[in-house]
Amino acid sequence: MEHIRTMLPPAVLVGMVLIVGLYDPTFFSLSNFETVISDTMSLFLMATGLTLVIMMGGIDLSVQAVASMASCILAVYLPELGFLAIPLAVLGGTIAGFLSGFVSIALRIPSFIATLAAGGLVTSAAYWFSDTRSVDIAEDLTGRYLNWSVGTTAGISNDIWVGAVFLLILGVLLGATPFGRYVRAVGAQERAVIASGINVNRVKIATFMLSGTMAAVAGVMMAARLGSGSPTLANEFLLPAIAAVIVGGTAITGGVGSIWRTLVGALIIQVVRIGMTFMGVSVFIQQIIFGFILVAAVAVTMDRKKILVIK
Amino acid sequence: MALAVRTSKAGFAKWRAWAPLAVLAGLCILVSLFNSNFLTVSNSLRLLNTAAIPLVLSMGATFIILMGSIDLSVEGVIAVTAVTVSLLVANDLTGYDYGLWAVPVAIIAGGLLGLLNGVLHVRLKTPSFMTTLGVGFAGVGIATAMLGGQTVRISDQTFRALSLGRVGGVPMAIWIALAAVIVAYVIQERTRIGRWVYAIGTDETTARQAGIPIERTRILIFSLAGLFYGLGGVLSAAQFGQGHALISQGRLFTTVTAVVVGGTSLSGGVGSVLNSVVGVLIVVVLANGMVLMGVEPYIQQGVQGLLIIVAVALSLDRSRLDVVK
Amino acid sequence: MLPALEMKGISKSFPGVKALDGVSFSAATGEVVGLIGENGAGKSTLLKILNGVYKPDAGSIAIDGRNVEIRSARDAFNKGIAMVFQEQSVISSLTIAENIFLGREEEFLRFGLISKARMNEAAAQELEKVRLKIHPGTLAADLTFSDRQMVEIAKALSLDSRIKRDVTILLDEPTSVLEKKEVAMLFDIVRELKQRASIVFISHRLDEVLEICDRIYIMRDGRVVHETPAANADVHTLHQQMVGRQLQHEYYREEKQAQPSPTIALKVDKLSKAGVFHDVSFDLHEGEVLGIAGVIGSGREALARCLAGYEKVDGGTLHMGGDVVRLATAHDAVGRGIGFVPSERKVEGLITPFTVAENMTLACLSKFTSGGIISGAKESTIAKDWIAKLGIKTPSTKTMVVSLSGGNQQKVVLAKWRIAGVKILILDHPTRGIDVGAKEDVYSLVREMTAQGLAVILLGDTLDEVIGLSSRILVMKDGVVNASFNAPAGGKPAQLEIIQHMM
Repeated sequence: MEHIRTMLPPAVLVGMVLIVGLYDPTFFSLSNFETVISDTMSLFLMATGLTLVIMMGGIDLSVQAVASMASCILAVYLPELGFLAIPLAVLGGTIAGFLSGFVSIALRIPSFIATLAAGGLVTSAAYWFSDTRSVDIAEDLTGRYLNWSVGTTAGISNDIWVGAVFLLILGVLLGATPFGRYVRAVGAQERAVIASGINVNRVKIATFMLSGTMAAVAGVMMAARLGSGSPTLANEFLLPAIAAVIVGGTAITGGVGSIWRTLVGALIIQVVRIGMTFMGVSVFIQQIIFGFILVAAVAVTMDRKKILVIK
Repeated sequence: MALAVRTSKAGFAKWRAWAPLAVLAGLCILVSLFNSNFLTVSNSLRLLNTAAIPLVLSMGATFIILMGSIDLSVEGVIAVTAVTVSLLVANDLTGYDYGLWAVPVAIIAGGLLGLLNGVLHVRLKTPSFMTTLGVGFAGVGIATAMLGGQTVRISDQTFRALSLGRVGGVPMAIWIALAAVIVAYVIQERTRIGRWVYAIGTDETTARQAGIPIERTRILIFSLAGLFYGLGGVLSAAQFGQGHALISQGRLFTTVTAVVVGGTSLSGGVGSVLNSVVGVLIVVVLANGMVLMGVEPYIQQGVQGLLIIVAVALSLDRSRLDVVK
Repeated sequence: MLPALEMKGISKSFPGVKALDGVSFSAATGEVVGLIGENGAGKSTLLKILNGVYKPDAGSIAIDGRNVEIRSARDAFNKGIAMVFQEQSVISSLTIAENIFLGREEEFLRFGLISKARMNEAAAQELEKVRLKIHPGTLAADLTFSDRQMVEIAKALSLDSRIKRDVTILLDEPTSVLEKKEVAMLFDIVRELKQRASIVFISHRLDEVLEICDRIYIMRDGRVVHETPAANADVHTLHQQMVGRQLQHEYYREEKQAQPSPTIALKVDKLSKAGVFHDVSFDLHEGEVLGIAGVIGSGREALARCLAGYEKVDGGTLHMGGDVVRLATAHDAVGRGIGFVPSERKVEGLITPFTVAENMTLACLSKFTSGGIISGAKESTIAKDWIAKLGIKTPSTKTMVVSLSGGNQQKVVLAKWRIAGVKILILDHPTRGIDVGAKEDVYSLVREMTAQGLAVILLGDTLDEVIGLSSRILVMKDGVVNASFNAPAGGKPAQLEIIQHMM
C-alpha cells in the first residue's frame, strides 16, 4: 500500500506527460515544461500548507478565501506601503490560520467546519479590504515590488524559484524537525502523541497558521501574475489544491505524505488540465472530472483501518 | 454520585434546547426596536418568503447532520436542478415546454445526485465531507456544462407562480416550504428511517447491533437530502426566473449555519428539523436586521461564520472527549 | 429436559494468549447460573462469543439441543439470547419505547408510519415486567443511570413475548450501578422471570451471586475450574476456587526484588474523582513496585490515568519532592518525570506507522535536536543502545514498529520512557497480549529499573502478577483503598488474602 502511494503518483505524472505529448508534440520542449511548471506554482504553494494540515489528519477549507484576502491586501496597500504590503498580506493569512486552529481546538470542532466558518469571516474581510471591488495593481508597482515573483532569473521564471525555496524550507520542516515529526505523529496516532507528553494543541495551531501563511503566499503570487487582487480571486482553487495533495499520495486519514508528493500531485492536476484542453474537453466538464478524481484519489489513498466509523 | 451528575446534565440539556428559540425572540425584539415596520404582516411575509428556500434546503441537511455526517454538495445539487428545470419549462434556450412536469424531473435529478453522494460515501468508505465536496464541485460543473456557461431565462409563468403566486395572500413559496417542513417532520418522527437516523448519529455500534441496516440508511438519507435540495433548486429557478450555475452561490454556508445555529449538533444524534426552522429564521431575521441597520451585505458571510462558531461553542458537549480533527 | 443453552469445548485464542480453553457451560430454563472469576479469567470472551462478536476456534453452541452458529448480536437476539451489557447500550436521543424496539419497528407500522401510541403501549407492558413506572415516551437522556439499566433489561425481556422458545438472558454486572433497594427489586424480577427463562448472572459481588444463583461456574485462566450448586458454596470457598496455582517465585525474578528506598517519589493525599474513586492516599517510594489490585470498576484504572495526567481529579493533592503538583495533562505529568505504559499499546503507547527509533525518541525529541534539526545519527545511536540493553528483536532502528511482536513493541514503549528519563513509571497491564518469554523479559526490566531507583506503579494483568512483582500492594474496591499488604521478597501474601478484599 505504501509502495503504491509512493510510486504511483510519479508514474501517473510521467504517463500523463507522455500521453499529452503524443497528442501534441510541441508539448515536449524545455520552454513548454518551464511554462507548465511555472503555471503550477501558485497551486502548489497553496497546497503545501494544506499538505501539513491533511497529514495531521485535518482539512483546511479556508485556503481559497485566505488567498483571495491576501491578494486584496496586497493590491490595496502596495501603492502606500510598497514592499511592506507583501509581509502584511502574508501576515493576514497567518492570522486567519491561527483563527481556524484556535476555533478548532478551543471549541473542539472538526476542522472542516471550523475552517468553513473561518473562511466566511476571511471572505468578509477580503470584501472589506477591497471595498467589494477587484483592485488593479499598476504595472510600475508590479515591476518595482513583485519582480521576485513575475520576473525571471537565470532564464527560469521566478515563480519556480519561489516554489523551489518553499519546497526546500517546508520539506526540511516536515522531514527533519521535531515539529514535522509531531505533525506526522498526530496524523498517525494522536492519542499516543498526547500520551508522550507533547503539547498537541500547539502543534495543531502552528499547522493551521502555516497553512494560512502558505495560502496567503499563493494569493500574493496569483495577484502578482494577474495584476489585480479580488475577494473571489482564488475561488476555484480549493478543490484543485485538495486534489493536488491527495493525488500526490498524502492520505486524507493523515500520517503519511510529503511536500514532494504534493508537488507531483499539483503537476498531475496541471498536466491533466492541459491534456483535457488539448483534447477539446470543455472547462466545465473538466470541473466534473476533477470532482470525481478527488473522490477516487481519496478512496485509493485513505487508510480505513484507522477509522472505525466513517461519517 | 454518578446519578447526580446525570440529572444536572439533563437539566442543562433542556435549557440548551430552548436557547435557539430565545435567541430568535430576542433578535425579533431587538430588530423591531430599530424598525417599527419589522413586525408588520407584510414584512413578516417578506421575511418568510426569503426563508422559504433555506428552509427547504435545511430540511435535507438536518437529516445528514443528525447522522453525524455533513453534506457540502448543496450548491452543486441546486445548480443542477435549477438548470434542469429551467431548460425543461418554456425558456429562451431549448424548445421544451413541459410546464410543471419539469418539477418532479428536477427533484428526482437532485435525488440522484444525493444517491451518488450516498453510494460513493458508503461503498468507497470515504468520509462524507470529501465525497460531497467532490460531487458538489462536479455538480456545479454539470450545471455549467449544460448551459455552456450561459444563462437561461424562463418564460413559463405557471412555473414561476410556484414561487411568486399567492394563495390566501401568502406567497406560494412559503406554502411549499411549509409542506416540506411537515413532510420532513413526519419522516423524522414517524418513520423507521427517521428514528434510525438518531440511532446512527448517537451510537452507530449499538445501532448496528440492533440490526439496523446502517449502509442502506445512510444512502437513503443522502438521497432524501438530494430530493430536498432539488426542490430548493426548483424554487430558486422559479423565484429568479432563470437558471445558471451560480444561482446557488452562498447557499451551502447559509444552510449549514442555519442547521447548527438551530441547535442540531455536528456530532450527530441531537437536534430536529424543527430546530432548523428556528435556525433558518434566526439567520434570515439577522440578515434582514442588518440590512435595516445599514450593514454592508458582504459582512453577512462573516457574521454567519461567527454564528457557526458561537452556536457550536454553546452546544459543546464536553463529555465527548474523543480526538477531534 | 434439554438445557436451553449449552456450550461444549469452546476455545478461543488471541495472539499470545489463550482466552478460552475447552469451556463447557449450560443453562436451563428455570435456573439462574452464576459465572465468576478474576479479571482475565475469560468471562467477557465467553459473553462475546454468545453475542456473536467473536467466533470460537473450536467447540459448539446448542440452543434447545440444536447446534447453532451465532453470527451477530442481532442474530443472537433473534435466537432468543438477550444480553444486558455492563456498558449500557441505550441510545440517549430515542425514547424508552424506541430503544426497546430499535430495529424491530415493523410490528408498529401502519402505512409505513410508526404508530407511537401502539409502540408506547407495547413498551409499557415490558416496563411493567421490570416495574419501571415511567412513561415509555420519555427520552432515554432524561433517565437516571439505574433506570436505563432497567430499560436494557426490559429490552431483553421484550423477546419473551415475541419468540417461541424460552429466552436466555445474560446479565453482565447488572448490579454495579444499582442501589441496594434496586438490587433487591432486580432479584425479585429475576426470580419471577426464571419460570420461563434461563438466566446467566455475571458479577464480582459474590454475596449477590450466592443469593440469586442456583448453580455457579468458577473460571480461571480461560477454563471452568469448578462448577457447584450455590447451596453448597460460600464466599470463602469461592475465593479459594478462584485463585490458582502456587506462586512461581523465579518467574517474577523475586530474588532481584529491590529494597525500596525511604525517599518518597510521589505522595498521594486524599485523591478523589467523583463517582470513580475517593480519598485515595499512599506514598510511592523510590525503587518500589507498588501494585494495585482490584476488579473492573474498582477505580484503579481511573486512578492510574489520573496520575498520568490523562484524566482530571476532583479533589486531593499530589506532592513530589516537597512541591504540590497538578497533573492536568499528560504534558504536565511527563514534565514531572511520570511516564505511562498504557494497556492499549497500539492506541496510546506507540505510533504504529513510525519506526522503532522514532517511537523511542518521541517523548524527548529536543535532546536529539541541534539548530532545530533532528540529528538522525544521535537518534539512531541511542536507539541502538536501548535495543541492545532491552534485548529488542528488530532488524534495524528503521523498522516499522508495527511489524514487531507484542513483547518487543512493549519494550519500545519502555525504552521511550527510559530515554526520556522518567522517575516514575505507571504500568497499566504491561504484559497484556504478549507471550510468556516476553513477559519474563518485562519482569526482568521492571527489576532493573527499580534497582536504579525508579518507582513503579503496577496494574497487573493477573493477581498473580501483582503479587509476584510488587513490593507493596494496595487493594481497591468500589473506589476506595480497602487494604494494603507488604510483599517483600520471600514474604508474599497469599492470593486468597487479597481476593477477599477485592470482591
